[in-house]
Amino acid sequence: MIKRTAPALALLGLAGCQPDIEAPSTSAGSADFSSYIAVGNSLTAGYSDGGLYREGQLSSYPSILASQFAKAGGGNFVQPLFTEAQSNGSGYLRLAGFTATGSPITANVTTNLAVRGGTAAAPLYTQFLDPVNNLGVPGIRMSDIQTVGYGSTLGNPYFERITPAAAAGQTYLQRVQATVASLKPTFFTEWLGNNDVLGYATAGGGANSITRTDTFTLKTNRILNVLVSGGAKGVVSTIPDVTGIPFFTTVGPSFRATLAAANVPSAAPFVYTTGILAPSATPGTNARVSTTLASIRDASGNGNLLLTLTASPYAGLYGRPTGKYWRDFYKQATGAYPTSSSDPVYNGFLRGMAVDTTQAFGQSTGNPFPSTLVLDGTEQTTVATATTAFNAALVAAANARNLAVFDAYAFFRTIAAGGYVVNAANNTTGYLSGYIFSLDGVHPTPRGYAIIANEMLKVINAKYGSSFQGVNANNYRGVVFPQ
Amino acid sequence: MTVKKLLLAGGALLVSASAASASGFQVNLGGQKNIGMGGVGVGLSLDQAAMFYNPGALAMVRENGVQVGFNAALARVSFRSDNSTPQRNLEKQVVFPFNFYASFGPKDAKYKFGIAAYTPYGSTLKYASDWEGRYALTEITLQAIYVQPTASYAITPTLSVGAGLTILAYGSVNLQKDIPLPTGTGHITLDGKTKTQFGYNAGIFFKPSEKLSVGVSYRSKIDATVDNGSVTYSGLPAAGSASAALINRSFTATNFTATLPLPAVANIGVGVTPNEKLTIGLDASLTFWSAYRTLDFGFSGNNGNAGTATDANTGLVGGSSLSSSKRYYQDALAFRLGGQYKVDDKLTVRAGASYDFTAVKDGYVGPETPDADRVILTAGLSYQVTEHFGVDASFLFEDFLKRTQTQAQLLDNGTTDRLAGTYKTQVYVPGIGLHYKF
Repeated sequence: MIKRTAPALALLGLAGCQPDIEAPSTSAGSADFSSYIAVGNSLTAGYSDGGLYREGQLSSYPSILASQFAKAGGGNFVQPLFTEAQSNGSGYLRLAGFTATGSPITANVTTNLAVRGGTAAAPLYTQFLDPVNNLGVPGIRMSDIQTVGYGSTLGNPYFERITPAAAAGQTYLQRVQATVASLKPTFFTEWLGNNDVLGYATAGGGANSITRTDTFTLKTNRILNVLVSGGAKGVVSTIPDVTGIPFFTTVGPSFRATLAAANVPSAAPFVYTTGILAPSATPGTNARVSTTLASIRDASGNGNLLLTLTASPYAGLYGRPTGKYWRDFYKQATGAYPTSSSDPVYNGFLRGMAVDTTQAFGQSTGNPFPSTLVLDGTEQTTVATATTAFNAALVAAANARNLAVFDAYAFFRTIAAGGYVVNAANNTTGYLSGYIFSLDGVHPTPRGYAIIANEMLKVINAKYGSSFQGVNANNYRGVVFPQ
Repeated sequence: MTVKKLLLAGGALLVSASAASASGFQVNLGGQKNIGMGGVGVGLSLDQAAMFYNPGALAMVRENGVQVGFNAALARVSFRSDNSTPQRNLEKQVVFPFNFYASFGPKDAKYKFGIAAYTPYGSTLKYASDWEGRYALTEITLQAIYVQPTASYAITPTLSVGAGLTILAYGSVNLQKDIPLPTGTGHITLDGKTKTQFGYNAGIFFKPSEKLSVGVSYRSKIDATVDNGSVTYSGLPAAGSASAALINRSFTATNFTATLPLPAVANIGVGVTPNEKLTIGLDASLTFWSAYRTLDFGFSGNNGNAGTATDANTGLVGGSSLSSSKRYYQDALAFRLGGQYKVDDKLTVRAGASYDFTAVKDGYVGPETPDADRVILTAGLSYQVTEHFGVDASFLFEDFLKRTQTQAQLLDNGTTDRLAGTYKTQVYVPGIGLHYKF
């Protein structure tokens, strides 16, 4: 009896065993990840919520990539991190709450900054002069990479903070060249070019310019030549469709919905300016366009006009006699609000802009919706044409060097249409509650960066036969609402 | 119905079964002797458990008797996601599927009556609270108890038929998951009891000789319908806080309805008795899981989270008053083989094996039923203490084949409400039964 029950008892003992699932092996494939550098702009730096700060840096896509590369021979990856004590870096936007109607209230984070000098309008940040693997510089355009003095105190403060004063004249391209020589990267990611079109778009086509395609192509080839000069392999990313980001898709639909709820007919007039902000002698460069509310894109995608996120404080003033936009503009330009509505300098400024603030805002040709808050059809075409041309140049340059391509353009179009599900939680490109984009409506949240890193790993695996896994993007935050 | 009352009283201890011992969330633990023989029984007339396996065979069971069996199902579920995260282990849970049978009828009469109670479906799974699939599922408890009054009649000495009315006497569902919220993680619990529903279990048993028997049986589908289940939340922003109005207005539902099919099963079995000591059974079973197409929840009620109740803000969970999740299960076959050997008058030993094909197609595997093809090995014994009274012991080991599904499969099938990764499950089910024959 005992003899016969012994095997059964042994089986009972097994009941404590948990079956093991082997961890999938991680391998580098045909690429070498021992020394990885990242070249790019704000997206590469981990910029988020309208600022560069430590949390964003720590969840930058290059940092996430490096953490995965480390599982297959990847080496140390140094970022120009702000210290814990100065963790808020440049400062950034935080979500302070909501209005009674559910509109977000944002506030600037102004504590624990890493500002070491400069002016309020052009601050200088605490420097980080050790060699860095993450060369992401917020604001840099492809057209800027050979600008002498770009790292000086008069240049880009984010490049300045990683540039030794002795080398203040060094261009970004030279810095990359020097990094290639010293760190001898075996792998790189390159994601430049967004700002060559984004700046124009976010200014509603009313300021800034788009880089010429020939310049863009030339500089793309130059920087890739430098990056591959030591035999490194890498990934080149394309430029997403900038008009698909919440910066352009948020205010218009909510403006339309608010007016519809207030029974304002969609045939009501809508007057805006296009082209540069100030009236110009050149005909057509500051055209006032009279149309109707129906031409503003609504939630269903009808209408062609895109309102920028920066239009948010002014959209509610539609139809009222107001000069709020111009007072704000005046303050930005001069550092102070006009002393009164009869302030002669301010009134001179308004006359120069040909604006009469006693007329109904956005409804009259005398007080139009400013060009900087509207991206109209013509401007969208300009943006789309440039984006297509830049992406063609990037892909051609990558293919010529047999590099992997992360098609951010295609990827962001897909998630704008259908979202991106991670472990049964959906993420969308919606503002605030979509989890992917931060409060500035342009830059990703940590979750957005994690998703980007995961997609890049797929591209790397496909190109180089490596087998990296992604991270669980749900462990990275989206926009956090106050409790 | 006193049996039902009895069951409800003992419900907390007895009900439910875990990670099932057949495809989907089916549980094939009908009788302790049968469990020891790989789950065969359709072509046999071993004891009163015939009411579960083949009611047609009850009239061929010579003695009347009462028997009861308890099983302790210990499921060990492991999961490793597509992401580079560590293996997740299910929290260890033990659940207790049971079976109870009593038959009566005059000796040597052509008919027999009986009453049965058993747990043909069920599942209890609890994942770690912070696992990566938390937005798909954190915890599920499905319970179903059938009570089955049965009659069987021997038309000739070699042919008998039988049928039972299956009553879903008790059923419950408790489903919990986390909700991703911009303020942090919330949690939702759906809890409800099923309505009493009816079906049938019928079979034919043919025993042309002492050495051979054949049976077929069919148990009909019962829809387990929850009409007025409760919806509760935790982790939503506190009323009056900055984001409460914005978020909580999407969560107003207090009640839900849902229907879960407990599918029909068709069985065919053969029994061979080469000599007095040895009995061998071979069964094939087809469970009509294709009846399970979608899991739909309809939400109703208004807890006032969206302010004054209106039609538009009533019955919302995540902003919607309906939720539909694809299942599209497939009919699942199982083959079972087992035998028993009478060592002496007191002791009988048993062994068996079965192979159950999965009910869940690739790309549809969810954490509430981490189904896969499974290999089952069993052993058992009976010890006849007195002429009337005996003890039956069984042990079942179930090994699910490792099952992986990718994010691409989820996207292709529109099943992204679950997660990509690899499941591996093993279940250990020791069981003990007592029988009294008269």
